[in-house]
Amino acid sequence: MLAAMRDSGARLAAGAQWADLMAAAQAGDRAAYHRLLTEITPYVRSIAGRYHRTREDVEDAVQDILLSVHTIRHTYDPSRPFGPWLATIADRRALDRLRKRLRSAGRETALEPVHETFAAAPANSGTAGLEAEELARALERLPPGQRQALELLKLKEMSLKEASAATGLSITALKVATHRALKSLRLVMQGKR
Amino acid sequence: MATTPELIERLSADAAPVRRLRAPGWRALAWLAIASALIAVVTAIVGLRPGLLAALHDPVFALGRAAALATAVTGALATFELSLPDRAGRWLLLPLPFAALWLGTMGYGCLADLLVEGPAGLQFGGEPCLRSIVLMSLPLGAVLFVMVRHAGPVRPVATALAGGLTLAAAAEGGLTLFHDVEASLTDLLAHLVAVAIVIGLSTSGARPLFRLLGPRRAVP
Repeated sequence: MLAAMRDSGARLAAGAQWADLMAAAQAGDRAAYHRLLTEITPYVRSIAGRYHRTREDVEDAVQDILLSVHTIRHTYDPSRPFGPWLATIADRRALDRLRKRLRSAGRETALEPVHETFAAAPANSGTAGLEAEELARALERLPPGQRQALELLKLKEMSLKEASAATGLSITALKVATHRALKSLRLVMQGKR
Repeated sequence: MATTPELIERLSADAAPVRRLRAPGWRALAWLAIASALIAVVTAIVGLRPGLLAALHDPVFALGRAAALATAVTGALATFELSLPDRAGRWLLLPLPFAALWLGTMGYGCLADLLVEGPAGLQFGGEPCLRSIVLMSLPLGAVLFVMVRHAGPVRPVATALAGGLTLAAAAEGGLTLFHDVEASLTDLLAHLVAVAIVIGLSTSGARPLFRLLGPRRAVP
C-alpha cells in the first residue's frame, strides 16, 4: 500500500516536472526539450511494448511517438497534467503502427528457411542450370555459320555492321543465319520440355 | 533509420518556440463566429427567406431549427475538445441528444408528409437543397479542418465525425435563413441525404486528409 502510494507520488512528481519541461520546450528551450524527450522515452517504450513484440517494432513505434509529440507539442496546455496528454499520443501512435503492420502482414508472406529446398543457394535456382546445359549443347549442334552469327550478334552483342566486318558476310546473310539459328534453338528447347 | 537517441538530438535541435493553442471553448466560438458570418453573407446575397417568422410559429419546425443550432454549437465544442490528446473521448456524446432531436424533427416531418400524401408526395426536386447544404458545408469544413488539423496523430476519425455533424447542422440550419423550404417530403429527404453525405464524407476522408494536409512531420 505504502509502496503503491510512493510509486504514484513519484509518478505525479515526474509528471509535474515533465509539464514544466514541456512548457519550457514550447518557449524554445532546447536543453529542457532534450531532457524531456530523453526522460519520457522509457515510459513511451513501455507503452509501445504493449502493442509490439520485436525490439525493432517497439523502437519504430517509440520514434513514431516522439515525432508526433514534436509535431503537435503546441497542443499541450501546461495548466493541465502532462501524463494523459503523452499517454494518449503514445497509445494512438503505437496502435496505429500495429494496425499498419497487421495490414501489410496480411498482404505479404515472409520467406522462411522451409521455403528453400536446400541450404546451398545454387540448389534453389530451379532448372536454370539444366536449361543452360541444354542450350550450350544445342548451340554446339548448330551449323558453323549460324553458330558464329549468333555468338557475334547475341552473345558478344556486336552490331550487324561490326559482325559483317568481322566475318566478311553480308548483313542480309547474317540476319538470315541468326533467324535460322534462333528458330532451330527454339525447336530444340521446346522439344526438351 | 536513425537510433532513438539520434532522433532526440535532432528533434531537440529543432525545438523552435511554438504558439500554444487557445482553450477549445474559445476556438469553437471563433469557428462559430466565422460560420455565422459566412451564412450571413450568403443570406445577404440570396435574401432572407420570405415567411420565416411565420414558419417559426410551427412548434415542430421551431424545435428542429433550435436543435440544429444546438447541434452546431455543441458539435463545434466537441470537435475542438476531441482534437486534443488530453481530452476525453466522451466529448463525442455531447452533441448527440441535440442531433437526435434535430434529425428526429426532420424524420417526423417526413413521416407526417408520407401519411398525408402517400408515396406520391415523393418527387424529384430536392436537388437544390441537397446541393446547397453540401456546397455550404465545404467552406465551413475547410475552416474547421484548418483549425483542428493537429488531430491527425491523435483522434482523426472521432474528430472528423463530430466535425461532420457540426458542419451538417450548421449548413442545414443556416439554409433555413435563405432557402425557401416547403417542408415537403422531397425537401426533407433531400436534407437528410445531404446531412448523411456531409457526415459520411468527413468521416471517410478524415485519415487521408489529415495525412495529406496535417502538420508536417519533417525530421530536421
